[in-house]
Amino acid sequence: MLQQVLVTLIVVLAALFSAWKLMPARRRLQALRALDAWSASHPGLSAWRQRWLKPRIVRAAGVGCDGCAANDSHPPPPR
Amino acid sequence: MDAAVESKPESRPLRIALVGVPNCGKTALFNRLTGSRQKVANYPGVTVERREGERATPDGRGLRVLDLPGTYSLNPTTLDEAITRDVLLGRLAGTPAPEVAVCVVDAVHLPIGLRLALEVKRLGVPMVLALNRMDVARRRGVEINIARLSAELGVPVVATVAVRRGGADGLVELLEAARWSTPRAAPAGADAAQMPDQVRALLAAAGYSPPRANPWFARIDALLLHPVAGLLILLAVLFVMFQAVFTWAEAPMDWIKGAMGSLGEYTAAHLPAGPLASLLVNGVIGGAGNVLVFLPQIIILFFFILALEDSGYLPRAAYLLDRLMGFVGLSGRAFIPLLSSHACAIPGIMATRTIPNWRDRLTTIMIAPLMTCSARLPVYLLLIGALIPARHFGPFNQQGLVMFGLYCAGILSAFAVALLLKQFGGARQYSPLMLELPDYQWPHAGNLLLGLWERVKIFLNRVGGIILALMIVLWFLSTYPAPPAGATGPAIQYSFAGQLGALLQHVFGPIGFNWQISIALVPGLAAREIAVGALGTVYSMSTAGDDLAAQLQPVIASSWSLATGCALLAWYVFAPQCLSTLAVVKRETNSWRYPLIMAAYLFALAYFAAFITYRVVGAMSPGGVEL
Repeated sequence: MLQQVLVTLIVVLAALFSAWKLMPARRRLQALRALDAWSASHPGLSAWRQRWLKPRIVRAAGVGCDGCAANDSHPPPPR
Repeated sequence: MDAAVESKPESRPLRIALVGVPNCGKTALFNRLTGSRQKVANYPGVTVERREGERATPDGRGLRVLDLPGTYSLNPTTLDEAITRDVLLGRLAGTPAPEVAVCVVDAVHLPIGLRLALEVKRLGVPMVLALNRMDVARRRGVEINIARLSAELGVPVVATVAVRRGGADGLVELLEAARWSTPRAAPAGADAAQMPDQVRALLAAAGYSPPRANPWFARIDALLLHPVAGLLILLAVLFVMFQAVFTWAEAPMDWIKGAMGSLGEYTAAHLPAGPLASLLVNGVIGGAGNVLVFLPQIIILFFFILALEDSGYLPRAAYLLDRLMGFVGLSGRAFIPLLSSHACAIPGIMATRTIPNWRDRLTTIMIAPLMTCSARLPVYLLLIGALIPARHFGPFNQQGLVMFGLYCAGILSAFAVALLLKQFGGARQYSPLMLELPDYQWPHAGNLLLGLWERVKIFLNRVGGIILALMIVLWFLSTYPAPPAGATGPAIQYSFAGQLGALLQHVFGPIGFNWQISIALVPGLAAREIAVGALGTVYSMSTAGDDLAAQLQPVIASSWSLATGCALLAWYVFAPQCLSTLAVVKRETNSWRYPLIMAAYLFALAYFAAFITYRVVGAMSPGGVEL
């Protein structure tokens, strides 16, 4: 029974990871941003947000699309 | 110089852009400044996008460094050059204009770089001139009075050696110490017509003496660029490379196979029989382990490619092939993108941005996936190892010959498709290749190791990431549902994967693929090399109780006909299975039309080639065609 539960968990995680990795980069960035917006309203998650989520958003924004004019991941700071 | 410096304190990182002509060492300097490990090569056109990195400074402000594609002028003719101009002018959405432009100039070829430096200076962006490769310049007798050049140009000038530790310290000190003003509006300056005079005046003021010509370089070029001898040498180099892939890798491959086999046996012996043991032995070790075996061969192949890159030979190969490429309707500029596609089609397709003509660029994009990318390597290596005897003809290894043939088949088919596109597209004006040939140099050990390490990391990340995850999913699909009571066939036939394989065999049966291959082609859509792991998992599940982990080759050798194996090899020469490549084509062409056309034509070619191969090899084999 324990083996069944463990295997189910591994397979579900593997399926989720595969879906995440095969998702188009733009969709992945949108999903990360949505997660970021949601976690911003939960103060308990702020450390995780800074340490784990933010670097991934920067990385996802930099994959392939950083020379593209449609990329708005780095809004220009006020001058 | 003073006008660009002020004492206003700032808290956000100083934005710096590295700009310069192609192959002057911008990316090497970027890596030195930021600790990054971006790809560096001894030929122009490696960087086609902007890259960003940061460096901490003692005052806590930090430097944000942008590496820009190389350009000869701020009047761009290609997309990558336009990116450089737009970033410098603050026109690229999401990228604020830099506060300082570091104009990187190859000190050996100072006149070429100074022209661009003058153009950048005219923009009004505060600027520093980095005289890179000063070590090589000094060795070759180049003399530059740096203080005089700085005074005459009106900007700070520092000497750098980007490939050496500490080689950019002077530049860093200057960037950290000074307080830079915000960019000014472009001042009125001399127009472009006066530039050559200005460059000559600057060179005279700086006491510049050109580099001594190296007589060896001229002699080597006379041989390597000879229209006949040069091509023969190029073929010989490629030939030796593929021979080495098979002869040198045998021992380390055996070690990995042995380790995987032992790991599989150990796991099976120490875990109680059940789904967990099956998952680990058949899914993880039998799947991902079978891909890991090819690591030594991939390292050897990339060692050769990186060494050739760093030595300065590859642009010469581009020069040699220019006429041939022009004959099939390709621009000579297509060589670098097509060469990059041998690592992966994605950077190759992105590198087509250096091609100014849209039709030339589109043709190059459409044929880039026909180059043999590294993801095909595990499939080729598996099938060649299983089906082709390791016989030697004198110094030649038969398996290496087949591998060489497959690479040639990819290149020749790309040329054939380009020729066809030329016929459909009508006549066009031939645009000759303009390429600056870099100096020869011994491959830099640091660059080689870094490049190899990057390839190893990419490969291991894929094996331990997406390949492993998909193998686990495939194991589930191959295991469930369990066979009904009284079932006589292998359990996998009753599973989801087995049912899917039976359906797909209606499509792939005529080209000789059995149901196991048909199943493996499905996860192989994500990336080609995943098909190898998938075959490992499927065969583990369809043969009961053996230690299949890392033993896939003997199973293939005994259960496939030669015709089936050759048909699968032919399929993979053209196979369109790489969703990431199709996604990049969509992005680069801004249309779904071209990736759909690409997928359709590659599928048709792959099916046709596999069908013909299966029938011809089958007819020539003793048993004929049977499945």
